[in-house]
Amino acid sequence: MNPRKEIASSLVLILFSLTFLVYTTRYPLDDWANPGPAVFPLLLGGVLLLLAAWQLIRALLAPGKPDREERKSSKVKALKAFLRENQGEAKVIILTALLILYIFLVQWLGFFVSTFLLVILSSRLMEAKDWIRPIVLSAGVGLFCYFLFEVWLKLSFPRGIVF
Amino acid sequence: MSDRGVLSYLLITLQPDNVIACFIGAMIGTLIGVLPGLGPAAAMALVIPLTLKLGPTAGLIMLAGIYYGSMYGGSTTSILVNVPGEPASVVTTLDGYAMAKKGRAGAALAIAAIGSFVAGTVSVIALQFFAPLLARTALAFGPAEYFVLTVLGVVLLSNLTGKSKIRSLIMMMAGLILSTVGMDPIGGLERFSFGIETAQGGISFIAITTGIFGIAEVFEVMAAREKPMEILPVKFRELYPNREEMRRSVAPIARGSVLGFLIGLLPGPAATMASFASYGMERAISKHPEEFGKGAIEGVAGPESANNAASGGAMIPLLSLGLPFTPATAVLLGGMLLHGITPGPFLLRDRPDVFWGVIGSFYLGNAMLLILNLPLVGIFAKLVRVSPRYLMPVILVLCVIGTYGDNSAFFDIWVMLGAGVIGYVMRKYGYQPAPLVVGLVLGPVMERSFRQTLIISGGKIESLWESPICSVMWGVALLSILLPLIVPRIKAGMQGRPKNRV
Repeated sequence: MNPRKEIASSLVLILFSLTFLVYTTRYPLDDWANPGPAVFPLLLGGVLLLLAAWQLIRALLAPGKPDREERKSSKVKALKAFLRENQGEAKVIILTALLILYIFLVQWLGFFVSTFLLVILSSRLMEAKDWIRPIVLSAGVGLFCYFLFEVWLKLSFPRGIVF
Repeated sequence: MSDRGVLSYLLITLQPDNVIACFIGAMIGTLIGVLPGLGPAAAMALVIPLTLKLGPTAGLIMLAGIYYGSMYGGSTTSILVNVPGEPASVVTTLDGYAMAKKGRAGAALAIAAIGSFVAGTVSVIALQFFAPLLARTALAFGPAEYFVLTVLGVVLLSNLTGKSKIRSLIMMMAGLILSTVGMDPIGGLERFSFGIETAQGGISFIAITTGIFGIAEVFEVMAAREKPMEILPVKFRELYPNREEMRRSVAPIARGSVLGFLIGLLPGPAATMASFASYGMERAISKHPEEFGKGAIEGVAGPESANNAASGGAMIPLLSLGLPFTPATAVLLGGMLLHGITPGPFLLRDRPDVFWGVIGSFYLGNAMLLILNLPLVGIFAKLVRVSPRYLMPVILVLCVIGTYGDNSAFFDIWVMLGAGVIGYVMRKYGYQPAPLVVGLVLGPVMERSFRQTLIISGGKIESLWESPICSVMWGVALLSILLPLIVPRIKAGMQGRPKNRV
């Protein structure tokens, strides 16, 4: 892994473990003969902190080791490579937003209508070329889920204003 | 256990419901192994609500079917596309794909299937001897032994997953920390639930598993640019290995079966470990080590048998101790608990029908996979080509349904989405999700046994290593920490030997 990524992830983990450790102090520790609910989380938080700190130190002590791609390329090339590598991230962000919207929509439009829309939109987001195939796929998935889960398995899904 | 013989319990597998469950499970498993997007753990988690309709034996048989069916599917893609469907098939890509390039894809697939079948059979027979023995030994396990065993599992697992041991340990700790959300297992105090009602019972295992494996995989596929995949063709008449290939495979299959089973008994990712160990062993004892990596049939026969035998062997710690050491067996444990079955030393005594029914299904499932997969392998191979733009939306919906179906709680869907986003970022930063899931399941057992040990001994910390079983397990844990530090030096001294890319 890229040392910069290693340093960044170690710092996030250190921050998380410190927050976790501080939060854990809300619960009683009691004593060794009757360890309280805080003991185990404190141990885990402590070990996580040590591991993350160890990883950070290792990454800091091994500087001049940029990964192969970085070594080979100039700054402009590196920037281009970065953009090329991460051009898919925009789709991930859009899909995450779509899923958040979906969770809210399920409670208003109901599970089946929202899922119908989710399949079509996510399929289009994945570069499906036309609208017909995603719509057919979505209708098929919806019917399959309805009969398998709701009719046969009797799982009840949230209903909305339409269905 | 009652007076009825083991055989009569094994025959439970042949009841129509169970046969159908086994068939469906094996088919779903094969599809999961072949298709990108869902691993066996996430697929099993999604199917759990469905299995509740079937009752414990058939339900668990279906889950187990997905588990070993995915091994078959994984081998298919390893051989034909050079993409391992799951970690246990990584080693198969070395010689399996090389064989396929030489036009022997059919033979490699057939040997993988035959090896898996033989190994599955060996492991079922061996299970009959080992499982009752271990279940009896497990009765001697007190909380201290359980605690040390979970620690040993954590140490062994961190040695074997991913590239970095420290990152595996970090993920394991993250899983253990997540497991502390909800009721404290001794006193019942509510922890880290931030007043959210659904979180009081703990973080949903299904939500985390589907998020971290399913949703994160969808994100990853979405972010990656679609690459044209070259699939090597399989002709039906090539499906049968020739006499020479059969002759060369017999011993590796036999060795792989025994080695795999023994490794399966150890805590850790048994199937992956077994396949690598078998590959190493076959290469070490082969008269033609230079052929390895270039299409040696021994390099397919040994590891494929070993990983199947190991997944049978791995059922022993799960069923007799109630401790899972792989994400897939962790989900199986989750499924058992939902069916009201507690795996552990008493399972064999109280529910021999479930115990042997599941074990027997391994045998039946392997036979089904052998009969079905050989003629259908061409179709399965074509499935690899299903476009992600249609597959991924379906996986999204399945993840939502599986997660919601568990508790009918929207909070779980939020957890799933959060786990998916975090899981995706983690992968980008080189952190593997498997140890987290195992940590999540081992956490409550670890905490309960740790605190019980201290309570029983009146606060004596030395009670954690006083008993002989504990001392041995601490010794093994220590060795597995020290050995990786020593082995590279030994390897450095042996650099003259030929190396294969693993």
